[in-house]
Amino acid sequence: MVRSIAQKEFISTLRDSRFMALSIIVLLLLLAATVVGLHSYSTLQKEREVAQQTVNDQFANSADRHPHRMAHYGSYAFRPKSSISFLDFGLDSYTGASVYMEAHRQNSANFSQAQQSSSLIRFGEMTVAFVLQMLIPLLIIFLCFAAITQEKETGTLKILLSQGISLRQLAWAKIAGYSRVVGLVVAPALVLASPLLFSRGGYDLEADVLLRLLLFIVFYLIYFFIFIVMSVVVSSWYQRSSTALVTLLGIWIFCCVILPKASANLGANLYTTPTKAQMDADVHEEVAKGIDGHNAHDQRAEALKQELLRKYGVKTLEELPVNFDGIQMAAGEEHSSRVYQEHFEELTGIFENQNRISEYASFLNPYLAVRHLSMGMAGSDFRHYIHFQNRAEEYRYHLAQGLNHIQATQLKYGDKQTRLSSDTWKSFKPFTYETPSAGWALGNHLLSLVALLLWLVLVCTVGVNRINNTQIT
Amino acid sequence: MIRKFWILIKYEWINFRADKGLLILTLFTLLAGLYGIYYGTTEIDRQRRNIAALDSITEHNIEEMKAKYPGEADAGDIGYYHSTFAVNHPDTWASLSMGQRDVNPYYIKLRLLNLQSQLYDTENINPLKVLSGNFDLAFVFVYLFPLLIIGLCFNILSVEKEQGTLPLLLSQPLGLPLIVGAKLGFRVMIVLALALLLSIIAMGWGRVVPDVRIGMWLGTVVLYCLFWFGVAFLVAALHKGSAFNAITLLGVWLLLTIVIPALLNVYVAVTQPVPQALELTIRQREVVHGGWDKPKRETMEAFFARYPQWTDTTEIKGRFAWRWYYAFHQLGDMAVEDLAREYQEGLRARHQLVERLNVLSVPVNVQGVFNALAGSDLPSYLDFLQSATRHHDSLREFYYPFLFKQIPFRHADYQNEPRHSFTSSPDLDTAYGGMYKLLVSVLVVYVAGLVLFRLLPAMVK
Repeated sequence: MVRSIAQKEFISTLRDSRFMALSIIVLLLLLAATVVGLHSYSTLQKEREVAQQTVNDQFANSADRHPHRMAHYGSYAFRPKSSISFLDFGLDSYTGASVYMEAHRQNSANFSQAQQSSSLIRFGEMTVAFVLQMLIPLLIIFLCFAAITQEKETGTLKILLSQGISLRQLAWAKIAGYSRVVGLVVAPALVLASPLLFSRGGYDLEADVLLRLLLFIVFYLIYFFIFIVMSVVVSSWYQRSSTALVTLLGIWIFCCVILPKASANLGANLYTTPTKAQMDADVHEEVAKGIDGHNAHDQRAEALKQELLRKYGVKTLEELPVNFDGIQMAAGEEHSSRVYQEHFEELTGIFENQNRISEYASFLNPYLAVRHLSMGMAGSDFRHYIHFQNRAEEYRYHLAQGLNHIQATQLKYGDKQTRLSSDTWKSFKPFTYETPSAGWALGNHLLSLVALLLWLVLVCTVGVNRINNTQIT
Repeated sequence: MIRKFWILIKYEWINFRADKGLLILTLFTLLAGLYGIYYGTTEIDRQRRNIAALDSITEHNIEEMKAKYPGEADAGDIGYYHSTFAVNHPDTWASLSMGQRDVNPYYIKLRLLNLQSQLYDTENINPLKVLSGNFDLAFVFVYLFPLLIIGLCFNILSVEKEQGTLPLLLSQPLGLPLIVGAKLGFRVMIVLALALLLSIIAMGWGRVVPDVRIGMWLGTVVLYCLFWFGVAFLVAALHKGSAFNAITLLGVWLLLTIVIPALLNVYVAVTQPVPQALELTIRQREVVHGGWDKPKRETMEAFFARYPQWTDTTEIKGRFAWRWYYAFHQLGDMAVEDLAREYQEGLRARHQLVERLNVLSVPVNVQGVFNALAGSDLPSYLDFLQSATRHHDSLREFYYPFLFKQIPFRHADYQNEPRHSFTSSPDLDTAYGGMYKLLVSVLVVYVAGLVLFRLLPAMVK
C-alpha cells in the first residue's frame, strides 16, 4: 500500500507539466551556476596563481640588497581558492585576495570582489549553493503543499484511510514518493557536474576534497528531506491547499530571506567591531611601551644590550660576535607580532561572537544550518579565511625573522651598506597555502551540524506524529 | 459609482480587520521597517562616531611626534612616522540606504609614503555580516514590501471565486472592474500609508537634510509599490486559482529580486573584468623598492621632470636623504598612474553597465535610485578615492618645501598640515534616470494588466 502510494505520487508528479517545467528551469539554473562557478573559479585562481608566481620570482631574483631592505620589500600572499569553492562562493567575494607581508607591519587583506562591484552584488550571486539552498526548497514546497490537503479537498482521504492505512503511513508514503522526484531533479545535475569537476586538467582528486564533496552533498540531501517532510506535515494541518501553500511560502520567506539578514545584523549590533585605525593605534601604543625595532634608546633595548654584553663578556656592541642590530630587530618583531596577534585574536573573537548569533539561529532555521555547513565544506567560510590570514602572518613573521637572523649573523653592527648576494633570497621558501582538512572544517560547524540533525529528527518524529491529530471532515 | 466604491472599501476594511493573517503580515512589515530604520541609523551613527574618533587618534599621534622630536625635526621623519586620515563622511540620507558603505572603507590612513600602497587598505569587516547584507529601510522596501503586496493581493479575486461569493457580489449592481478596483484601491491605501509612515519616521530619526530628495524618495517608494500592485493585478487578470497566483507572484518576485540580479552580476563580471588590482599592487612595490638600488641622480632627474620647481636644490650626497626617499616613493605612484586610473575607470564602467542593465529588474533599479539618493554606492566611493588622492598630493605640496629647502619642521607646523574631509554627495541625475525607468515599468505593467483584464473573459463560476 505504502509503496503504491509512493509510486502514484512519483508518476503523477512526472505527468504534471507545470512541475516538470519548473524542474527544468531549476536544473538549467543549476547547470548555469556550475558553469559560472567554474569560470569564475578558474579566472580568479589563475589571476592569483600568476600573481603569486610573479612575486615569488621577484623575491628569489631580487637585486643584491641589505637584509633589512629585503624585509621591507617583503612578499605577498594571494589566497588560493579552495578546490570546491566553485560550488559555494560563500564569503570569498567579500574577503580580501591579497596580503602584503612586510617587516614590522601586519597589513589587511585587500581587493575583495565586493569592493570591485557596485551594490548589485548585494542581491546575491549565482552559485550552485544558491540554487540548492533557496530554489530547490521552493520547488519542494510547490511539489508537496497539496500532499494531504488535496486528498481532503477531493474527498479521497477518507477512502484511502478506509483501506486500513494510517495517516502517518500515508504521510511517509507521500514523503517517499516526493523524495524520489527530488532525487530525479538533483541527480542529473550531480551527474553532469561531476565530469566538469573531474575533467579539469591539473587538478588531482585528493581524498580530502572527495570527502568534502561527499559531505557537501549529504548535507544538502538532509536539507531537502527536511523541507519535504516539513511541507507534507504543514499540508496536513490545513483543509485547503492554498492555505497550506501560503503558510509554506511564509516559512520559506522567513527562513531564506529575513532571518539570515536579521541575525547577522543583530550580531553586528550586539558586538561592536573596533575600527582598524583604533586597533592599529592600540597595537602601536602597546608596542611603544615595549621595544621599538628602530629605536635603540628604549629601556628594553638597553636591557637586551646589557644582557648580550654580559653574556659574551665584552664592553661594546662592536665587540659582540653577533650583530646587535639584527638581534634587536628580531626582539622588536617578536614583541610587536605578539601584541598584534593578541589584538587580531580579540577582533576574530568579536566576529565569532557576531557570527554565533547566526549559528544559534540555525536551530530556528535549517537554511542557516546548511548554509554554514556548505560554506565550511566548500572552504569559503569565516574560519578558512582566518586560517589563511594566520598562515600569511606566520609566513610574514618567519620571513622577517629569517632576514633578521641573516643580519645578526652575517653583517657587522651598524652596517647599513653591505648588500648580500641575491642567492641569499633563494634559500627562503615561497609562500604556499594548504586548505585544512575536511575534519577541521566540519569541526568548526558542529553547532550547525547539530542544528541540521535536530531538525531532521524533529520533523520526522514530532512533525510526522502530529499528522495523526489531523481533522478529517 | 463613487459611493459604491466607498462601500466596497468599507467592507474590505471590515474583512481586513477580521483576517488575523493579513493583520499579522502588515504588523510584521511595520516592525521590520522600524527595525530597518533603527539598524540604519545606529550603523551610520556608529560610522560617524568612528570617524570622529579618528581626530583623537591623529591628535594623539601628533602629541607622540612632539614628544619624540621635542625641538626642530626633520620633516622626513615626520612624514614617515606621522599619519593622518582621509575620511568619507556619510550623507544624512545614508541611514535609509546604506549601499556599499559597509563594504568599502570610509576612511584611509595616510602617510607621506607612496599612495598606491595605502589607498586600498580595508577596514575590519566581518565577511559573514556583509554577505548577509544590511537590514536597512531600503531592504525593507525593495524586498519585503513586494512580499507584503503579494500577501495582500494574491487571492484578491480568486478567494471570492473559491468561496463562491463572487457570483453573489456580481448579482449586485456592481461591475467586476469596480470590485477589483475597490479591492486593489483599499490595499494600495494600506500599503502606501505604511510606506509613507516608515519613510517619514526614517527621515525624522535620521535627521536627513530636507531637500528635493524627500519628494524623490517618496515618489520612488510610491511608484515601486504601484509597480508590484500592477504585477498582482496582471496575475489576477489571468483569473486563475489562489495557489497558482501565489506561486506565480512569488516566482516573479524571486526572478526580479534574486535570479536576474545574480545573472546580471555574472554578466557584468565577465564583460567588464577589472584585473588591474593585483598587477597594480605588485608593480608599485617593484618600483618603490627598486628606488634604493638605482643611482640617486637618475631617480632625482625623473622626479624633477614632474616637479621642475625643485630642480635647483642641492645635490644629494651620502647614503640617505629623505627627499630622495620620498622622490622614489612618488615615482612608484607615477609608475602605476595608468593602472590606477584604469582600475578606477573599470570600476566606474562596471557601475555604469549596471545602470544600463537595471531595466531588466525593477528592484535593482530602485535599489540604485535609493543608493544614488543616499550617495552610498560605488561611484561615491570612487569619488572619495579621488578626493583622498588629491589630499595626498596636497600633503606632498605641504612637506616638499621642508624637505627640499631643508627647512626644519617645528611644532607649530603641525596645525598647518592639510586636513581632509569628504562627504558623499547624492547622484541626482542617476536617481532621476532611475525614476523615469521605474515610471515606464509601472505604465507597462498596468497597460498589460488592463489589456489582459479586457481580453480574458471573467470565468465566474
